[in-house]
Amino acid sequence: MTALVLEQALNGLQFGVMLFLLAAGLTLVFGIMNLVNLAHGSLYMVGAYLWVAGMQWTGSYLLGVLIALAGTLVVGMVVEVVALRTLYERDHLDQVLATFGLILFFNELIAILWGRSALYAALPGWLRGHIDLFGGAVYPVYRAAVIAVGLAVAGALWYVVARTRLGMLIRAGASNRTMVAALGVNIRLLYTIVFGFGAALAGLAGLMAGPIYAVQPGMGELILIQVFVVIVIGGIGSIRGAFLGALIVGMVDTMGRAFLKPMLGTVVSPTVADAAGPAIASMLIYLLMAVVLAVRPEGLLPARGS
Amino acid sequence: MAEALLEIRGLAKAFGALRATDGVDLDVREGETHAVIGPNGAGKTTLISQLSGNLLPDAGRIRFAGEDITTLPAPARSHKGLARSFQITSIYREFTALDNVALAVQAHAGHSFRFWRPARAERRLREPARAILEEVGLGARADVTAANLAHGEQRQLEIAMALASRPRLMLLDEPVAGMGIDESQRMIRFLAGLKGQRTIILVEHDMDAVFTLADRISVLVYGRIIASGTPEEIRANPEVRSAYLGEEAAG
Amino acid sequence: MRLPPRTIALCAALACLAAVPPLAALLDQPFYLDLFRRIMIFAIAAISLNLILGYGGMVSFGHAAYLGIGGYAVGILAFHGVHSGWLQWGLAIGGSALVAAAIGAVSIRTSGIYFIMITLAFTQMLYYLGISLEAYGGDDGMRLAARSDFSGLIDLADPWSFYYFVLAIMTAFIYITHRIVNSRFGMVIRAARSNEPRTRAIGFSPYPYRLAAFTIAGAMCGVAGALLVNHTVYLTPEFMHWTRSGEILFMVILGGMATSAGPVLGAVALLILEDLLTGWTQHWQLYLGLLLVLSVVFFRRGLAGLLPGSRDDG
Repeated sequence: MTALVLEQALNGLQFGVMLFLLAAGLTLVFGIMNLVNLAHGSLYMVGAYLWVAGMQWTGSYLLGVLIALAGTLVVGMVVEVVALRTLYERDHLDQVLATFGLILFFNELIAILWGRSALYAALPGWLRGHIDLFGGAVYPVYRAAVIAVGLAVAGALWYVVARTRLGMLIRAGASNRTMVAALGVNIRLLYTIVFGFGAALAGLAGLMAGPIYAVQPGMGELILIQVFVVIVIGGIGSIRGAFLGALIVGMVDTMGRAFLKPMLGTVVSPTVADAAGPAIASMLIYLLMAVVLAVRPEGLLPARGS
Repeated sequence: MAEALLEIRGLAKAFGALRATDGVDLDVREGETHAVIGPNGAGKTTLISQLSGNLLPDAGRIRFAGEDITTLPAPARSHKGLARSFQITSIYREFTALDNVALAVQAHAGHSFRFWRPARAERRLREPARAILEEVGLGARADVTAANLAHGEQRQLEIAMALASRPRLMLLDEPVAGMGIDESQRMIRFLAGLKGQRTIILVEHDMDAVFTLADRISVLVYGRIIASGTPEEIRANPEVRSAYLGEEAAG
Repeated sequence: MRLPPRTIALCAALACLAAVPPLAALLDQPFYLDLFRRIMIFAIAAISLNLILGYGGMVSFGHAAYLGIGGYAVGILAFHGVHSGWLQWGLAIGGSALVAAAIGAVSIRTSGIYFIMITLAFTQMLYYLGISLEAYGGDDGMRLAARSDFSGLIDLADPWSFYYFVLAIMTAFIYITHRIVNSRFGMVIRAARSNEPRTRAIGFSPYPYRLAAFTIAGAMCGVAGALLVNHTVYLTPEFMHWTRSGEILFMVILGGMATSAGPVLGAVALLILEDLLTGWTQHWQLYLGLLLVLSVVFFRRGLAGLLPGSRDDG
């Protein structure tokens, strides 16, 4: 029993870490450029597809990863320069609609290039298999690796934002764009870099998701909405909030799906639990969001000055 | 002595390291026109915003007509009898001047959960609104879209909207800001006509307006009131002269 | 009485829509009757969204939820043998209103991007709920057992009757919305959108008004949902898919926000465009997506903004 709980907890952590990567990118872009980017999920999708393509083309996992990361970075920056620059001055509604259009565009583009069915690519030998945990449990090497990479990136992100000049520019740009520009910083370049960085994070999440979740058109939006929940719970514009929110959402969703039905089964009849369990489990994170909104609308760890 | 209409005790508001309001004590008597002056950045608008309910203070208390309104939200304060005009013109640009004032009247004329009857057909709203526009001198411009009004006319509209709720206390934030000589003279004459009928707290840079209208003046510097008294007392106060009036006397 | 150009255009549009069934019969193209009926149903959804978005400034990305609630209310009752249109539609309207009030209660305390994300999230929640309802078809959905029965007053199985029924409802909603936005209530909503600090300063607290508007809009869209399920004779969670919310949003923007004609024009334009594109290529979403981006970038005031007298509808 503990083995099962431990396994699900780790899965929750793994899911949370991926949500964090996406949430961090999205919240950075929103916090600094005041841009609502619904197409963030598309970048995640691009990352996954480029990894599959890269793997199939080169036969090497690491090259596939490299191609995915570099490719998503490039795609992100191109999209920023070509399509998103005009949107910075527009209101959020226009940004929502324009990026919604981008989603349709990207989903269809991917479908044209790779078809609509889910793609699979095999993991290299050194990422397959299980590792032993205490309590007799085993855990897939790959998922453990995802957790490790995600936490490492989270740490690196914190370091960059809190301790480096670039991070300082980012935080300054978030609170006063015109001032930063007046100081001689090339704001356009900063924006493109930040956006590219956010895209790379999304691409990383995408390529890590490849072996675990289905790689198909529309995969970005499924996870994007959960990323929204993370941001609302954590507090917008805040990386710490994104981290906390992502862990909470990851855990609640994973554990809920795994244990709600059996838990319900102890208090109500099996038939009711069978029907209600999955239904409620799928709604759990949204209900959690509603509770946070009711109690603390600005989120758990909102960015300072918001 | 009668209790003051407005009592402020120990009001404080900080933005990070900047103490915009740094322990303000002030009494304003009913019927008085009280001017708050001070150099730029002294925290005058911040003070007004805390009085109107647009900003919540970090510490201190505000009592209005004997009631503690420190944390009362802005709409509720309007219903208690406070009204405010904004330093940076804040009107409904796409509505006509008449619509603007009628909305302000509507807020105090029964409830607004009416879904069918056109608000523009309600005489109960339109007539008082027209009357107020006449009073402030905008009668002829009632049907002009607010965005098309001249700057000075928009400032007049601000005052009109504040009057619409028939407030006991008016908080006027630089009412003649950006107005030409003639317009400000007209506005000052108009505000002088309100003296005694209503209690007014006036934030102004225009010394002409201040010394014409004020019964008492408080001087705000770096979030603190350094002097408070009659216009003569303030004119004579050496601290005030050096901190503030010295600059103004030259300009 | 001189009517403004916009009203004339709207009346012309309504007249054209009224002429569709006989024209379709004349040309022996029943497809057009179907198409325009569908357009009008979505126009009703767009009209309801326009109330809160165009006039109220509330960017709800979750409006499709009420299409689902309306549709499922009718479908579930029909599944259980309750075919009375009165009961079904009563549940559709009441259920939508209730859910809108609940979602609105927590969402409206936020604004801007939060509000967008939250409304999107709640719709997704309902979508997942729909999928998990295995008894009612789950993922695949299910056929509508029978059309709503209005005790013989209207026969929804007759294409013409159903068509004019939808037209009547749409026209009624246009009129009702017109009355609402010019009433005291409507003025508060519009004022809150125009200048919220000023609105609070004069004594209005926007929250209760916005919540009421949100609820009304939800209920109106619930009617659209009930109509939609009767039209498609099929019930699926796709009614509530978030991309559908995006479509309705786009209809409102494309048509021109805060205008009476806007939602109708937007629905006509978008759905006809989709129809044309679908006929042309299976990759129509590529072009639609591109068009969306371009139209947002270049086309600020929507189709209704092209008509003379372009001002806030009053």
